[in-house]
Amino acid sequence: MAAARREELSRRIKEQKVVVDELSNLKKNRKVYRQQPNSNIFFLADRTETLSQCKNTLDELKKAYQDMENSQKTEIKK
Amino acid sequence: MSRDLHTWHCCRSPWESGTAGLWPQQVVTSCQEKIQHWKKVESDYDALQERLRTLPDKLSYDIMVPFGPLAFMPGKLVHTNEVTVLLGDNWFSKCSAKQAVELVEHRKKHVRKALDDLQKVMKNFESRAEFTEDLQKMSDAAGEFVDIREEIEDDSIETKGKYRTAHKPHSKPKVSNFFEVDFAANGSDTKSTGRFQSEEELWARLEELERQEELLGELDRMPDTAETTGEDTTSSEEEKEDKRRDLNGTYTAEDCITQGNFHKEVTNSDLFGGQVNGSTYYHSDDEDDVDVGDNSVPTIFFSHTVEPKRVRINTGKNTTLKFSEKKEEAKRKRKNSNGNGHATPELPNIKTPADIYRVFVDVVNGEYVPRKSILKSRSRENSVCSDTSENSAAEFDDRRGVQRSISCDEATQSDNSEGLLEEEEEEEEGRQQLPKKLPPSSGTTEAFSGTVVEKEPLSPSFTPHPVMAHPVLPTILERKSEEVLSEAPEEPTKRISKFKAARMQQTT
Repeated sequence: MAAARREELSRRIKEQKVVVDELSNLKKNRKVYRQQPNSNIFFLADRTETLSQCKNTLDELKKAYQDMENSQKTEIKK
Repeated sequence: MSRDLHTWHCCRSPWESGTAGLWPQQVVTSCQEKIQHWKKVESDYDALQERLRTLPDKLSYDIMVPFGPLAFMPGKLVHTNEVTVLLGDNWFSKCSAKQAVELVEHRKKHVRKALDDLQKVMKNFESRAEFTEDLQKMSDAAGEFVDIREEIEDDSIETKGKYRTAHKPHSKPKVSNFFEVDFAANGSDTKSTGRFQSEEELWARLEELERQEELLGELDRMPDTAETTGEDTTSSEEEKEDKRRDLNGTYTAEDCITQGNFHKEVTNSDLFGGQVNGSTYYHSDDEDDVDVGDNSVPTIFFSHTVEPKRVRINTGKNTTLKFSEKKEEAKRKRKNSNGNGHATPELPNIKTPADIYRVFVDVVNGEYVPRKSILKSRSRENSVCSDTSENSAAEFDDRRGVQRSISCDEATQSDNSEGLLEEEEEEEEGRQQLPKKLPPSSGTTEAFSGTVVEKEPLSPSFTPHPVMAHPVLPTILERKSEEVLSEAPEEPTKRISKFKAARMQQTT
């Protein structure tokens, strides 16, 4: 179960990394749209704002992953 | 297959718990899946709420409008405060953004409730799952605890609920399985096995008998149906029909019985055979009283033998055939004179078309009058429209007598000629207006002599000519013989109608 969670987290982290890279590589005049969850509608969003938001989520995910690994290591040690 | 009996003790059977017959571990995993699903739903609702709260802030939004599953168009979202909410079952409600927020909140409440229930279930089963896991670990580790296992070798009992096939309609009942099990348990019991085989043989024999009975039943039904159709045409008595119906009922009942009795079947066939005879007996009885015990059907033969005289007496619409004594005497006399072989007196031995007309003879004033038409009943002949009156009949009788004398004088008189005479009398009733010039056929000639002679219309008409096959013409000829004799000087060469002749006489 812990392994599943770890894999899930790692997958998410990869996705976020991709998003951040893409957003940072956009030209200035490009529009960014954000999808409404569970629907097919895309709302216009500010590029810089979304970039910053995505970066934040990435950092959070990385942190969680780190914490999980730390806790497992501590368990094994015990 | 072995079962871990210790697991029975620690946890209840899956059927007792409410979680669809699953072991605790399975319950836990299913709960976890559900919880994840509901959590996603809740997060979606949260996002929606957020969007709805900020939606009325702007008049319009730039969006990518989806059309189709894969294509988008840049567009604007307008009327940001009007929200159409799906209530379920294709019902929608139009409300403002705030009201939609409230609706979403209400739904979230339900989702939370479901999540809480699932969490509780999971907790309950987690403890059990842990306990079983611990037990298994302990049993594996320690040697004191031993699992009580029972190995069942025979898998026949396990296959009870397997795919079933329908039995055949007349198959023997299935021999129960525990028979064999007993054999296995008790060892070889030769006596019982011997009995078993003999029973099988008996069953096979019974099946064969049943099949034979079915075949015979079909065969018997065939003539029975033909018989019934034949009977419908004739005037059958009710008793006979009832009897047949009863037999049919009994026979069909027998068919239904799977194990038919062979003896019964034989007796039924005998009854049917008897009935066939009886039906024919009745059939012939209707036609001929004298035909006792004769099973043949009246048929028309074409030969030159002496046939009996049969007279048909009209009784209004219903006509019955009865044997005429007079005719019988005449026949006997003729037989003695001719010395021909005895024909069967019982049947209306119709051998020539002339015989048909001889057969259909009426009784008028005690005398036998040939009928105008075999299709018409007697009542019609006595009607006003027809020309048949008793006076005329009397005249015809005289003529008939004369003709009979003429005919009987001939030594080689055959029945056919007399039949012709009778026919003429019949025909003359309807054909007074057409005097024909055909020569009369005297008693010397026979019908169907085999030779065809051309008629000479202008010849002196009294020479006996062999008659053509057509029965109508010679009859009129013969009848008119006297009249023709009398009228001969008047009509030497050509035909003239009676009225014209009368007119001519008047003019001259």
